[in-house]
Amino acid sequence: MTDHDAAGGGAARFVGQSIKRVEDPRLVTGHGRYVDDIVLPGMLHAAFLRSDYARARIAMVDISRATAMAGVHAVFTAAELNHHVDSLAASVNPRDAPKTPAHVLAAGDVRFVGDPIALVLADSRYLAEDALELIDIEYEPLTPVIDFESAADSVDLVHPELGSNLGSSVSSVDSNLSAVFAAAETVITETFHQHRQCNMPMETRGIVAHWEPFAGRLDVWASTQSPHELTATAARILGLGQHQVRVHMGDVGGAFGQKIFVGREEMALLLAARDVARPVKWIEDRRENLIAANSARVDRVKVSMAVNGDGVILGAQIDHLTDSGAYPNGGKPASGSNMVSMFPGPYRMSNLGWTTATVYTNTLGRGAYRGPWQMETVARELMMDRVAAEIGVDPLEFRRRNIISEDELPYTTATGRVYENITPSETLEQAVSMLDYEQFRIQQSDARSVGRLLGVGISACIEPTSAGRGALGSEGATVRVERDGNVNVFIGTGSHGQSLETTIAQVVADQLGISMDSISFHQGHGTPYGFGTGGSRSAVIAGGAARAAAIGVREKILSIAAELLEAASADLGIEDGFVSVAGTPSRRVSLAVVANTAYSDPEALPDGIEGGLEHAARFQAPPVTYSNATHVCTCEVDPATGLVTILRYIVSEDCGVMVNPMVVEGQIAGGVVQGIGGALYEEARYDLDGNPLTTTLMDYLIPTAAEVPLIEYGHIVTPSNTPGGHKGVGEGGAIAAPPCVLNAVNDALACMNVNLTHLAATPDAIVTALAAALA
Amino acid sequence: MMALRLARPEHLVDLNGVTELDSVQAIDGLLRIGAMTRQFVVGADSTVADQVPLLALATPYIGHFQIRNRGTVGGSVAHADPSAEYPTVVVALDAELEVSSTRGTRRIGAAEFFEGPMMTALGPDELLTAIRFPVWAGRSGFSFREVSRRHGDFALVGVAVGIELDESTTIRRAAIALLGVEGRPRRAPDAEAALVGTAISAVDAGEMGRLALKPLRATDDIHASAEYRRRVGAHLVSQAVEEACRRASEVDGD
Amino acid sequence: MTDPIEVAMVVNGAEHVAAVEARKTLADFLREDCLTTGVHLGCEQGACGACTVILDGQAVRSCLLFAVQASGSAVTTAEGLAGADGSLNVVQEAFRECHGLQCGFCTPGLVVTVTAYLADHPDPGRDEIRSALSGNLCRCTGYQGIIAAVEQAAVIAALQGGIS
Repeated sequence: MTDHDAAGGGAARFVGQSIKRVEDPRLVTGHGRYVDDIVLPGMLHAAFLRSDYARARIAMVDISRATAMAGVHAVFTAAELNHHVDSLAASVNPRDAPKTPAHVLAAGDVRFVGDPIALVLADSRYLAEDALELIDIEYEPLTPVIDFESAADSVDLVHPELGSNLGSSVSSVDSNLSAVFAAAETVITETFHQHRQCNMPMETRGIVAHWEPFAGRLDVWASTQSPHELTATAARILGLGQHQVRVHMGDVGGAFGQKIFVGREEMALLLAARDVARPVKWIEDRRENLIAANSARVDRVKVSMAVNGDGVILGAQIDHLTDSGAYPNGGKPASGSNMVSMFPGPYRMSNLGWTTATVYTNTLGRGAYRGPWQMETVARELMMDRVAAEIGVDPLEFRRRNIISEDELPYTTATGRVYENITPSETLEQAVSMLDYEQFRIQQSDARSVGRLLGVGISACIEPTSAGRGALGSEGATVRVERDGNVNVFIGTGSHGQSLETTIAQVVADQLGISMDSISFHQGHGTPYGFGTGGSRSAVIAGGAARAAAIGVREKILSIAAELLEAASADLGIEDGFVSVAGTPSRRVSLAVVANTAYSDPEALPDGIEGGLEHAARFQAPPVTYSNATHVCTCEVDPATGLVTILRYIVSEDCGVMVNPMVVEGQIAGGVVQGIGGALYEEARYDLDGNPLTTTLMDYLIPTAAEVPLIEYGHIVTPSNTPGGHKGVGEGGAIAAPPCVLNAVNDALACMNVNLTHLAATPDAIVTALAAALA
Repeated sequence: MMALRLARPEHLVDLNGVTELDSVQAIDGLLRIGAMTRQFVVGADSTVADQVPLLALATPYIGHFQIRNRGTVGGSVAHADPSAEYPTVVVALDAELEVSSTRGTRRIGAAEFFEGPMMTALGPDELLTAIRFPVWAGRSGFSFREVSRRHGDFALVGVAVGIELDESTTIRRAAIALLGVEGRPRRAPDAEAALVGTAISAVDAGEMGRLALKPLRATDDIHASAEYRRRVGAHLVSQAVEEACRRASEVDGD
Repeated sequence: MTDPIEVAMVVNGAEHVAAVEARKTLADFLREDCLTTGVHLGCEQGACGACTVILDGQAVRSCLLFAVQASGSAVTTAEGLAGADGSLNVVQEAFRECHGLQCGFCTPGLVVTVTAYLADHPDPGRDEIRSALSGNLCRCTGYQGIIAAVEQAAVIAALQGGIS
């Protein structure tokens, strides 16, 4: 039996089941191992002196008093460290990508509040922070560039060496568009803004590094999504070979994109580690995380959309601007290419013209955050409701007239994306059916007659997952059966909450016919190269690699067992760790015996089979694997206070074959709640001088359990073209949720002539808009 | 304050061991609560609920239960955050603050105690030791309302209201105190005066909200604008006045 | 710098004695001196709840207390809720059953909070559960699995005669 369907050679005992997680026993008992739990003899602790100004010259910095303080071992500034690093670029950046200046520490001037200026290493974090107060520094403040909408025209330069605040600007003209607009029944133009948000994982950034000069070896532990990216960067900036760097991957407390690339502080730590040749540890505190890790989602999109008399979308022009801050993560300014190319989403839209640009400002650098391009869904779904209102059609009906359904596939968008195996129309219908949309409209009308404002919002998206290009396009896995029949799996991922320790084991266990207890999962040092975990790629790409490696081992197991059992491979199956002849369960041999034969008894091996029992495989993903979802939610808005209560939240999603449905729902829920946060609660704010105003969790407000509704799920399963039939799903919740919520709020407020085009819809924004509408 | 690196005292005195300050005593028509009495105790104590209902109504709004396990009523009052609940109750009821130092003990009236955000009339060598809350003995009803961004957050704006009726349905005494509008809790004397002598059925709650906010100068911050606090403050006053009146009218005459 | 002060406290049933600076937080003392690294620091500002421990029977934020303030007290962390044989307490088991965690960083503080809460409120309704959880932030789960875990733990604890 060597069929390579979704279950491979074995019965699908684990894939498709909501298997309880392998990670949990240690995590629920407080025995996880996060980077701050790493304690090494002689370890020094780091703290950074950070800029108090958004833009200023450093007139003087004197570290002598700090260096002299008891308990302080070293103080580093740009003078000691910067010359080692000629680029902040991530190893996977396109060669021709623009580059931000490579200042590891601020050198002569500071470019955002929080810009790291000096690094102190001391016996404890307490002492290191004491030492920061002994660093004497004088600033000459300069006029900062804070407003991203005017940054490109400002004479003040965030990075003088670049000569411009414009990071990049790309456009595409659709030559049909002006004719389409001229002939259209209606053309509507609206501009939408999304505000600054922060990834805000529960665990801040952190790193421990230990350079042993006589071993010629660097050991690193970090809160990271990508141990291999960290390996490559550490090697590059320290002038080491990648074989000299060992990144040990432990438990990571969330990231959502913040920890995929190596930041300036981590680079500074690595350089300092080489200098002192003792273990050094830096654990970021929450204030630092909110002002210096990364921010996201500062986007503005102007949309002009043309529709005909039947409410069919004919085309659109979008003009997009995003803020990259001072030091965008990964060493290059943000790219809008995914944003513009995904703009059509799940709707037929034959013509699209677009421009996208990004600017630098003296604020916190932009980093990846769960669906970094999602402004396309935010703007598009808000625009759908806007246009529907303008032409007098219910927003559901307007979507029905334009949404793509299965029978139109494969479908090629105006931006050249080819959709296959997706179900936009089907998820739309499932979601509104779960709500009972017609019934809700009746409830809404009844409520309005007693002065209560209820609203419904819809948001449909296509999620481009598992991007299969370049360094991101493949993952490798090695599956090895040890001499006692238990299995080690080595894979290049960086699981930080995605449950890969469990889901990868499910895949391998199914192929090898063993229990999940028999499998140990390894990430980091010693694993094959992989980009890491992010971009909704693990089920397809890492899962694909694990599957292929396990199938390779399975074939060898069967060949050896066939020799031992004097049977044909095709007649054998593996179950509960035993290989047996189909129909004759007593004729069997354990995996331990097979393994022992492979390692210790070469005479007993069949001809042409080498010793050992492991297989390494690399899975190349197709260019992209689309998943899709429709979100529908209802809310009530209290017009007196502007408080919004979400009543029901429904997600109908199609992520293909689910490895673990419980994990899928958990990923969706987490993304949805981040999206609710972005729509209603979370705002990272700066004042006009570039001072961050939200530096604590009492100011940057993420939803608590009291703010979230029960999330209801509908699942549609349309397998992808990949061997397991899986698709990515991790980012979708955060992509579709913000406009779903804002559409619901606007629907509730429509009768009051209020329509919000800016996120977040805070109580103040709502009350102010209501007062203005009544005036 | 220390966790936010805003305060770096040279010396810190831990009062947790001073058990005499943890007490609830009914004395001569008032309720004397020791400064170290935990917030969760204040919120759960039946004597407090009976004698000073505003304290019981306000307590659930204070942060989260883990905070209320350690936080104290004296701590909240002495800290004087403009959005805090207990200072508002103190001001609403004209409570007296008992303050001690090596020089002796004195009492400070609520109206004089709160001077501004995080600023009180406590001298640098003085310790708040107890709060003496007047007990409204007649037919009275109370309401405490606040609006916050999320459950348990600092209030954007809030109000404490007490209404006492005479033997029929006329208001004999009214107290309205607002939090989160100015830098310290403020009473609403114009609205209170308008309520006294009015029959419950004739109360124009909306007008009371307007009167209460009119003289106040609200503050902007990142969570809410001054205008928001004014509008929503007025709304909460009207809701709380209605609720307190209703509760007062439901009390059986003795 | 101040002279170290001797503190003694019982942590998860074991006596710990150490000399610490007055300014050392209880959270850091537990992590560094008692090696209960399950106490996590998510904000050090008292806002996230990841550092929640049980102090003399009550759930408190260990980042907002100094170690010296807890001298003489009994502290329980998530490590102390599990059995010596590795068995999970009813709350920990429910979190696992209901997928109440993903990255696990907020989890020890939550498990402690819920254990303390259910000991005092054995039969909470869903809205009461939401309020009780509102002082513990989670960024991964969207709270769905967590709320379900609390409901399940309450039911099972009731059948077993209470949270142990």
